[in-house]
Amino acid sequence: MHKHLSSRSALLDENAALHAQLDEAAETLRAIRSGEVDALVVQSSRGPQIYTLQGQDAETNRFRGEMLAQVSDAIIAVDGDERITYLNAAAERLYGFDGPRALGRTLTTIFKSRWLHPQDEAAARTALQERGEWRGENVHVRHDGHELNVESSITVLRGIDGLPTGQLAVIRDVTERKQNEDRVLVSEIRYRRLFEAAHDGVLVLDAGTHRIIDANPFMTQMLGYPRDQLIGKELFEIGLLRDDAASQEMFRNLERAEQVRYESLPLESPGGRHQTVEVVANLYEENGRPVIQCNIRDITERRRSEEHVKLLMAEVNHRAKNLLAVVQAVAYQTAKHGDPATFADRLSERIGGLAAGQDLLVKSEWKGVEVCELVEAQLAHFKELIGRRVVLDGPPAQLTPQAAQGIGMALHELATNAVKYGALSNGEGRVRIVWKIIADSTPAFSISWLEDGGPKVAAPGRKGFGQIVIGRMAEAAVQGVAAITYGESGLSWNLSAPLEDTLTVIQVAA
Amino acid sequence: MSPPTTSRDNQKKASILIVEDEATLAFCLEEALIDAGFEVAGVAGRLETALAMIHNGVFDAAILDANLAGVSAGPAASAMAARGLPFIVVSGYLPEQQQTAFTGALCLQKPCRPDRVIRALRSILPAQ
Repeated sequence: MHKHLSSRSALLDENAALHAQLDEAAETLRAIRSGEVDALVVQSSRGPQIYTLQGQDAETNRFRGEMLAQVSDAIIAVDGDERITYLNAAAERLYGFDGPRALGRTLTTIFKSRWLHPQDEAAARTALQERGEWRGENVHVRHDGHELNVESSITVLRGIDGLPTGQLAVIRDVTERKQNEDRVLVSEIRYRRLFEAAHDGVLVLDAGTHRIIDANPFMTQMLGYPRDQLIGKELFEIGLLRDDAASQEMFRNLERAEQVRYESLPLESPGGRHQTVEVVANLYEENGRPVIQCNIRDITERRRSEEHVKLLMAEVNHRAKNLLAVVQAVAYQTAKHGDPATFADRLSERIGGLAAGQDLLVKSEWKGVEVCELVEAQLAHFKELIGRRVVLDGPPAQLTPQAAQGIGMALHELATNAVKYGALSNGEGRVRIVWKIIADSTPAFSISWLEDGGPKVAAPGRKGFGQIVIGRMAEAAVQGVAAITYGESGLSWNLSAPLEDTLTVIQVAA
Repeated sequence: MSPPTTSRDNQKKASILIVEDEATLAFCLEEALIDAGFEVAGVAGRLETALAMIHNGVFDAAILDANLAGVSAGPAASAMAARGLPFIVVSGYLPEQQQTAFTGALCLQKPCRPDRVIRALRSILPAQ
């Protein structure tokens, strides 16, 4: 019982002593942590042992710790099993893992490596084995999936015995730099392609020396010089500006306005080719050095087509006014020789005839008109009679615009007359329109309007405008001779003229 | 075309050469000239004919169409000037589109009333 009692109190005492020791140890640990302790005396079986905490070593350790916390590169140490034994503040930030959570875990917990080239991984392994260090770039994929472009320097750590104990990695995040490099590279490829493939000439000049420092392929093509012959030359030396004075003026203007534009400059290439170019020069800075970029566009074709359009417009104007003059003359003549009661109708018919001829000329681009088409156009009002009471007979022949106008007007008058008084005024009369090419010493063209089966006709007492049109005017249009006979069964008209004054292509009948 | 006539016979009619490829217009001009008391020395519808008439014909003045079947009447104007004969130009072109051979000549725009042509002709002929 006593023994029991004494042992119980002894246990309580021992318990209290252990509590006190534990409290003391906890206090010591707190003091060590907060840096209040300089040295530690530990009772051991070999007597008291003094451990100095402050002094050279502690100072060095703390300094190292602070330094590693301050550096912006991530620093990670691993043991032989790739378990993390140390990581600095930058590493914690970079991988989003705080120290206590990471320590003791394998490296792959915080990131996995992805290699830029398949062979890089083996190369790194070899370098570490053979030289004990590796430096290079790869991608670290963080535990959250975020990818980092990193530049790492890995060193093998060794113990006193020289055997590897782990690795120390210094890792720099180059993601942003890499992205910038990629952007610059893409941009360089894109703009290089524009420069190389442009269908405008591009020259880059040094603003100080006024000499060419770069030229794109199209420029060399335009000028006919190889690129290396352009480099180092001034603009007036390649025929772009008249002389040195013109060149000086351009550079003065550029300094003032930063852009100079020449709407139209003559450009003579060494091969003697004349071109007209438009030049736009801009002053830029390239890394602090002023350069001038000249864009040179070949506008020779554009100028030519502008000139052509101008010429066409003048031609259209001339023809339109000529036609108005003819209409005016026809109006005078219709009024002078005709019945005032039918003036408006007669004039409208004649203008209609002129318009039909005009259509044919435009259709053939003013080159000429097929006789057959001209006859059909002038007889459009009696289309249903063609092939029945009106017969066309002749070879293909293209009349000149002048001949087409004169003969067209004559056919119009003949048709109007036939319907009113001639072979087409009754139910059975017929008209044959015959044309032929007469191969003779002086080849001629002949066209006849032959009426048959109509009422008897006589020459009109007073010469109306119709008579003038089929007579003198038709003759004048083709430098020919017109013959009119008024017969028992209708009128006959023939116009004969030199071939060269009537047809566009001289054709000789077989 | 009528043969060139000798002018300044006994009557004091001025003789005019018409150079116009459009037969209708040439005819109209001819009528208007005769009605106004002129004589028509001839009508030329082509440049070659016109040049031949200018070289050999006897007349006092000419009316030139600026464009003869697509060919400029400029050489006819130069030939007239070389002979010291007055002429007027009738043209469908705008004045600024006119060829230089007609510079200084009295130019009328087509379409033009016949009486305007007559008045223009009288203005270039020496007073009789």
